[in-house]
Amino acid sequence: MSQIKTKHLGPINYDDSSVLNFPAGLPGFEDQNQFVMVERKESAPVVFLQSMKTKSLCFLAAPVNVIDSKYELSITRDDLKVLGLEGPGPFQPGTGVMCLVILAAPQNGPLTANLLAPVVVDVRTRRAVQAVRIDSRYSHQFPLAARQSACS
Amino acid sequence: MIGEGIEVEVLDSSHSQVKLGIRAPKEVVVLRQEIFLTQQQNQVAAQETSPAAVSRLLGTLR
Repeated sequence: MSQIKTKHLGPINYDDSSVLNFPAGLPGFEDQNQFVMVERKESAPVVFLQSMKTKSLCFLAAPVNVIDSKYELSITRDDLKVLGLEGPGPFQPGTGVMCLVILAAPQNGPLTANLLAPVVVDVRTRRAVQAVRIDSRYSHQFPLAARQSACS
Repeated sequence: MIGEGIEVEVLDSSHSQVKLGIRAPKEVVVLRQEIFLTQQQNQVAAQETSPAAVSRLLGTLR
């Protein structure tokens, strides 16, 4: 167990299995390569991606199926390479891959999720990449208000 | 060519994908639109992540 201090979550204890490694950082945050994934019962389904480098940087995210239960993942070969998952044939997202979307809650704006660029994690290696799609099928500002109820 | 000094080249194409290469002077930033939007959106997302923001999100997600 190790501990880091954070701005909004207080000091957090974590072990290596909850550290996500982003070899390429995230767009706009290319120098941020390690985040601790924090899940708290009282905040579910929101998960926290707390930077290990910057105390005040903590993305709010949620599993993609919470936002869109029919979401179809599409990931570029370059991003698969970052994950170390490139292989022959098309990529089949399976149980070994976790997919989160980053949420935005600006003070004077609507709540949105970035479905254009989900965070894809290889659960086994804990390698992660923000996989920006090459199509425009999904929005980078998908309004949470438009979400279809998952249990209808 | 785009304007002066920017070259566009098809590097590879398959049934559903075309890979383009863009050669531009150093001072020109070349970025795919979707990456640009995600850069901006990540900045917005990182701005407001206080407990109040979490509460607002939970109010909609639960």
